[in-house]
Amino acid sequence: MIQRRGWKRWLIALAVLHGIVASAGFFTPYDPTEQDRERPYLPPMKIHLVDAQGHFHLRPFFYAEHLRAGSFDQFEESTDQPVPLRFFVSGVRYRLFGLLPSGIHLFGAQASRFYLLGSDAYGRDQFSRILYGGQISLLAGLFGAGLTLFFGTLIGATAGYYGGWRDGLLMRVAELFVALPWLYLLFALRAFLPLAVSPVQAFFLIISVIGAVGWARPARLVRGVVLSAKERDFVRAARGFGATDWYLLRRHILPETSSVVLTQAAILVPQFVLAEMTLSFLGLGVPEPLPSWGSLLASLQQYSVLVSSWWMYAPALAIVPFFLGYLGLASALQQDTGAGKIVNMTDET
Amino acid sequence: MRYFLRRLLQAAFLLIGVSILTFLFSALAPGNYFDEMRLNPQISPETVAALRVQYQLDRPVPVRYLRWVNSLLHGEMGYSFAYNSPVAPLLWVRARNTLLLALVASLIAWTLALTLGIWSATRLGRLPDRALSGITAALLVIPDLVLALGLLIIAVRTGWFPTGGMISVGFDSLSPLEKLRDLALHMALPVTALALSALPTLVRHVRAAIADALSAPFLRVAASHGIPRRTLLYRYALRAAANPLISLFGLSLGALLSGSLVIEVVMSWPGLGPLLLEAILARDLYVVIGGVLCSTVFLVAGNFLADVLLYLADPRIRTQVAAR
Amino acid sequence: MALSYENTEPLLIVENLKKFYARRGVLGTKKEVIALQGVSFSIRPQSTLALVGESGSGKSTLAFCLACMERPTSGRIIFQGDAITLFDEKQQRALRPRIQLVFQDPARSLNPRFSALELVSEPLLVQGRLNKREREDRARALLAQVGLPEEKALRRADEFSGGQKQRLAIARALALEPKLLILDEALSALDCSVQAQIANLLLELQSLLGLTYLFITHDFAMAGHLADEIAVMERGKIVELGAADGVLREPQHETTRRLIAATPRLRGAAHLPQVV
Repeated sequence: MIQRRGWKRWLIALAVLHGIVASAGFFTPYDPTEQDRERPYLPPMKIHLVDAQGHFHLRPFFYAEHLRAGSFDQFEESTDQPVPLRFFVSGVRYRLFGLLPSGIHLFGAQASRFYLLGSDAYGRDQFSRILYGGQISLLAGLFGAGLTLFFGTLIGATAGYYGGWRDGLLMRVAELFVALPWLYLLFALRAFLPLAVSPVQAFFLIISVIGAVGWARPARLVRGVVLSAKERDFVRAARGFGATDWYLLRRHILPETSSVVLTQAAILVPQFVLAEMTLSFLGLGVPEPLPSWGSLLASLQQYSVLVSSWWMYAPALAIVPFFLGYLGLASALQQDTGAGKIVNMTDET
Repeated sequence: MRYFLRRLLQAAFLLIGVSILTFLFSALAPGNYFDEMRLNPQISPETVAALRVQYQLDRPVPVRYLRWVNSLLHGEMGYSFAYNSPVAPLLWVRARNTLLLALVASLIAWTLALTLGIWSATRLGRLPDRALSGITAALLVIPDLVLALGLLIIAVRTGWFPTGGMISVGFDSLSPLEKLRDLALHMALPVTALALSALPTLVRHVRAAIADALSAPFLRVAASHGIPRRTLLYRYALRAAANPLISLFGLSLGALLSGSLVIEVVMSWPGLGPLLLEAILARDLYVVIGGVLCSTVFLVAGNFLADVLLYLADPRIRTQVAAR
Repeated sequence: MALSYENTEPLLIVENLKKFYARRGVLGTKKEVIALQGVSFSIRPQSTLALVGESGSGKSTLAFCLACMERPTSGRIIFQGDAITLFDEKQQRALRPRIQLVFQDPARSLNPRFSALELVSEPLLVQGRLNKREREDRARALLAQVGLPEEKALRRADEFSGGQKQRLAIARALALEPKLLILDEALSALDCSVQAQIANLLLELQSLLGLTYLFITHDFAMAGHLADEIAVMERGKIVELGAADGVLREPQHETTRRLIAATPRLRGAAHLPQVV
């Protein structure tokens, strides 16, 4: 039984983080695919309160950038053109949560583009791309985990409830999958599927592949719970008034697995987000123009970018608070429910 | 002895299963290495067809599988289309590099983990222990991709370490000492990344195992006999904690070996990782299968090693096994 | 040794029932491999037969066989004239409402997540009778019948005390209007004072609803309090069977004597005979 304690706090924190990413349209000033070829690899812009003449402005502002004289790629601030930062501005239209059309953005500017976290090779705003990229990466992780847990529960429950040859067979297969180096398998799987697909297809492909690889461990855990649950007195009592197998599973046995499943979810989601990031980073994941945290990092594979454009590392840091949240949630769930003998997050190799 | 034979048999079945699985996936895959060639107008369709026959891609999958197994038994692992050479030598070189990396990282990680873990367990609950817990938690939260990239950026900005490859150009002309230094410099970053990614879990386990052992009744009795603290720690507690830690060692080695894929790619270390990636992108079938199999072997070997070590270290296991 | 009265048709007749287990811990890990070695008895309608014996004597096995939760290896069970041992799956399902089982530990036999109302109406739901409203009404009526306060109807099972939980279990068992109620050590897990309350409730319900009880226990005092007839079991066999008073006053079998001598007195049951 889950005693409602510390895990709720983590859940709320995670909900807030996800909420921000989900409402990326509001929090970011620009469309993530909007290019500005004249401003590639711009470093993050500084926000000023005091201008070059020493005057204090109440409204924070920034300077537009121009090419430094005699350079092809070095930019400097045009200190004669302060551009005020506005809040709750109307800008490019988007759909909040994919449904509600809106044009309000948290911040923005009129005269010039404001790059909070710099720009990439095509002059696209990194900040916008990070938040939108989070949508893809997190969705992949969530869906992948959902798929894995669905299959894991199905298989584990079948094996545990019916026993016999089904149990034997399914658990042998599970042993096989658990022993596999799943990252390698993931790559191999991905590789053997068509490389050039549309972004949406690629997304679903990735999710399916990720989901198909990790079901074994949850299946074993669920099987354990089901095995012990089906011997409980209240299950027998229900059989005693003629309940069908399906009813027993649905109303009595599967609810017992909830704590194990939830803890597994908290552990799997960040792992799968990371898997998606890794795939995209290596070019096997979600392709352009859809941003994903992984593909945003791909530019770091070029030496020149590594040396001079350090802000391109920012997407890597974006996942850290999420990892922290999920790890905290998993820990708290394990403590509060004592569910499953899960040793650590890196148990999956 | 029978116990080990059984484990070996299990491992063998596992490997067979993995190889079949990977082969199956390849069979389902649309497209192959020669699709690229087919698009090239300069190469005639006949040539492509001939090449296909040469590489036996026209045969049905089960046949190809059996031929591959057959060649495996002769010490070969198929042919690489991209490198135009047998797969086995390719794999061995890369596997050796990966092994080198993983072993060194393991050594460093375990040394640190033991030191920190013991140090922490003896000061349970006090400030140093909690500080360490905080740091390990922070490290756990940083995924290996992020860590590797971060280290890379630091390396590039400071210029202290080379940012890729295993050895410098002109390696052969260096003196042995210089060669070692060169290798070490190249290894520094990937080893650090690997070690750091494995460290937090190891530290936690060591700390838990030692803490458990230290609070065991038999230890308190020993303490009440006046046995000095240091002896208590090293001769008693460590022995008791050795059991779970030894299994962990074998497992962690295996995990490290297969988990180094990302780090190798990011740091351009010429191990199995980059090889596999290239092969995947080029659809170099036999290399992919060989690579996956190799890393599975590593994992399985790690587990097996854990079993062997445990058997040797713990007399209870020996009697259990003998009794069967 | 079968005892039957010629003037009333027995509700339940058990003939030479045998049950052997293959070596699997099906019923629970602490039990040995129990066999029923040819058990025979019968129960008149609206009477109570107490089955007394120590742990491992086969009492629960017998209970489960009667409740159709286990298949006996051989022998016959005839309930209301039907040879239920020959029933198939479908017939068994139709039979279930007529024979119900109350388990020993209500903390385990009631799903703690369910509310009292859900628990008591579950049999009705499972059997597919009545619509939602009717089920709820019937459930509330049952709760009242066993003496549970109306306000607690929506509380979760784990919020009730031990005695209240057992009342819930009884209410649930009555939902399908059974003819035979098997009480498998139903009082053993309760505190002494609560035992008396529930025992009295059972007696009330019996006369109110015309129920027949098979009361399984290891407590002779309780058996004497509740039962019309007592059967003593040992190692899968019935070693003594007769009217309650008779068995208590003049136990024939050595096991019966041993068990009676070892039984602590039930408070307030002064009418029980003094046994040496």
